[in-house]
Amino acid sequence: MDLDFSPAERDFRAEVRDWLRAHVPEPLPSMDTAEGFAAHRAWEALLAGARLSVVSWPEHYGGRGASLIEWLIFEEEYWAAGAPARVTQNGIFLLAPSLMKFGTSEQRDRWLPRMARGDDVWAQAWSEPEAGSDLAALASRAEPAPGGHRLYGHKTWSSRAAHATHGFGLFRTSGTRHHGLTYVMFPMDDVAVRPIAQLDGLPGFAELHFDGVFVPESMVVGEPGDGWRIAMATTSSERGLTLRSPGRFLATADRLIALARDAGPALADLAARCWVDAEAYRLHTYATARRLMTGEELGPEASMGKVFWSELDLRMHNLAMELLGDRAGDTPWLDGFLFALAGPIYAGTNEIQRTIIAERVLGLPRAGVRR
Amino acid sequence: MNFGFTGDQLALGATVRDVLRAHCPPAALRTERRPAWKQLAGLGFFGLLLPAGSGGLGLSLADALPALEETGRACLPGPVVETAVAAAYLQAGLPGLASGAVCVSVLPPGQAYAPDADLADLLVVARAGGWHLVRKESVRLAARPGVDPCRPLFEVGFDVSEDLGGAVEPALLGATVATAAQLIGVARELLAVTVAYARARTQFGVAVGSFQAVKHQLADVAVAVEFAAPLVHRAALSVGGPLWGPEDGPVSRPVRGLEDGPVSRPVRGPAGGPEDGPVSRPVGEPAAGPVSGQARGPLPSAGRDVSAAKAAAGEAAVRAARVALQVHGAIGYTEELDLRFWLARAWSLSTAYGTAAAHRERLRAAILNGGPGRYP
Repeated sequence: MDLDFSPAERDFRAEVRDWLRAHVPEPLPSMDTAEGFAAHRAWEALLAGARLSVVSWPEHYGGRGASLIEWLIFEEEYWAAGAPARVTQNGIFLLAPSLMKFGTSEQRDRWLPRMARGDDVWAQAWSEPEAGSDLAALASRAEPAPGGHRLYGHKTWSSRAAHATHGFGLFRTSGTRHHGLTYVMFPMDDVAVRPIAQLDGLPGFAELHFDGVFVPESMVVGEPGDGWRIAMATTSSERGLTLRSPGRFLATADRLIALARDAGPALADLAARCWVDAEAYRLHTYATARRLMTGEELGPEASMGKVFWSELDLRMHNLAMELLGDRAGDTPWLDGFLFALAGPIYAGTNEIQRTIIAERVLGLPRAGVRR
Repeated sequence: MNFGFTGDQLALGATVRDVLRAHCPPAALRTERRPAWKQLAGLGFFGLLLPAGSGGLGLSLADALPALEETGRACLPGPVVETAVAAAYLQAGLPGLASGAVCVSVLPPGQAYAPDADLADLLVVARAGGWHLVRKESVRLAARPGVDPCRPLFEVGFDVSEDLGGAVEPALLGATVATAAQLIGVARELLAVTVAYARARTQFGVAVGSFQAVKHQLADVAVAVEFAAPLVHRAALSVGGPLWGPEDGPVSRPVRGLEDGPVSRPVRGPAGGPEDGPVSRPVGEPAAGPVSGQARGPLPSAGRDVSAAKAAAGEAAVRAARVALQVHGAIGYTEELDLRFWLARAWSLSTAYGTAAAHRERLRAAILNGGPGRYP
């Protein structure tokens, strides 16, 4: 057991740090405005030019084949540098792992390099008006048509969908509940999009209406009807270390400490506690990365990380709001606070995560099962 | 970067676990003061951190962590941490230490009473800004009531002692980490026992563990333990193994952050004490044996990292105890259920070597005042 970075890892960190120092822009407008969306896409193209947009991907898709540890180092440096939020994140962290694992080589060659450069920006279309936490209740359909499928139905609370070029989601081709769902990618061109303003007043969500949108067979990921299994592989990485790596929380914790330096002991104590918890998440993630690098898979224990990081992020931003009072809006902390509030909701609510931990990690019986 | 236990480290933990399952069953907690100590001594447990020249295995604190966690999981009584860890940092050359023949207790700063002091051949006592080594025949003990029936407390009096100087500080850090590892073991056992009970106990025709209000409390315990453990592992690496001088004598390293004690200085020769006590060689006198090197002493961040580990492990164990008692209900509130021993151990160890509040206060000072950088 050791916690020492190798010379190669230290060199990689230095390269990333130097590049970011030279290139990170002044804060961009929100990615949920047309102007900000374009600016964030341009930033992704710049990152990709330095082969820093998807460092852990294979080189022929635009990455560097970096190890998980190197990816974590990249993330630490990225967030410490105050670099922009990732407009591509639904694609690179959620869709891409599914394509790598379940897609065809044609799909990977066609979509991954474009995703890595921000040419395409993907929105996730999981939720429906009657299918939130209970995703298997979804009712949108993919009906067979010559050469592919036609999509019907209604998706909602789809992040980035107001401006995205493409989407991916689950559509029913047969069966009930978890059976007969198909994982489909689609261009946004023929989808009716109604933007939905979030708590910050900007359209970070959208409602998607499908009225016979045609998608060719080449847009189905994996086998038709196998969508639930593929989606669960995606959600596992979403809850796990890929979506919310420790770097983001380490950076927030450092800024919180700077903010709390002159605070009284009660708030200063809470700040120190957050700093330590960010460290705990970082160390835990190094241990998880080691397991994954030796061939283990991330299972339901990913839910423990999701509960931990989302509640840590909220505690940090709650504390910042306490420290700043009515001056919060003069700082980035207000937007951060609103964003942190979403953490315990998206990627599976924390209530769902706690039930998963209890049932699948601890082995407690499912509700309503009589003994 | 390879942050996980090696096969050897885990195998050592598994061996200790097997021995404790066989020789420290819950029934022994009611009848014996030091169950399984003989068998552990036979394994070399008390020499894990000692240099080869003193009959030890020369392992680091991190190497021994899974084994120490097992002693918490089993609720092993006796001054385990003091004898197997603190003494190894202080008195590596002490005859009888590796074989388990010598038993050590510690009265750390900030605490009033020494645990298991009646079993100890040697007491290490923090008092009036200094560190004292007190031999059994020089000590006066008065039993005091405490929360843990298997960890009795004693008020310590003495007239004759030897001055230990500041060499105690790495030992104190090591003992604090070892106690944190025990707390992780206690918490894991409390969680496992409570999950088993919640699966078996039925009310309203179903297992109580099928109720979401119960599930979510247990999930929170799992999360607390899951994220405390890596802080403990990191702290062990921050502290490093005992450092031995060229003749297996302890080497003092200044450590900031854990306590406001005296400035460190190397141990000198004996400062008094009887010639014919249970200890045949005075403090600091060279022991025979080969040089045994450890990688390094404590890092600059060690005090902070140790406080983070102890606070998190103590809070996780106290939460595990709270939920364990609540989920067991009335049967958990009885003397006859073995659960009481683990509850008591969570409570007693969470205040040993600094309460969570004391460590949180040190963390606040270390982090907000621009202390050492992150490790790694």
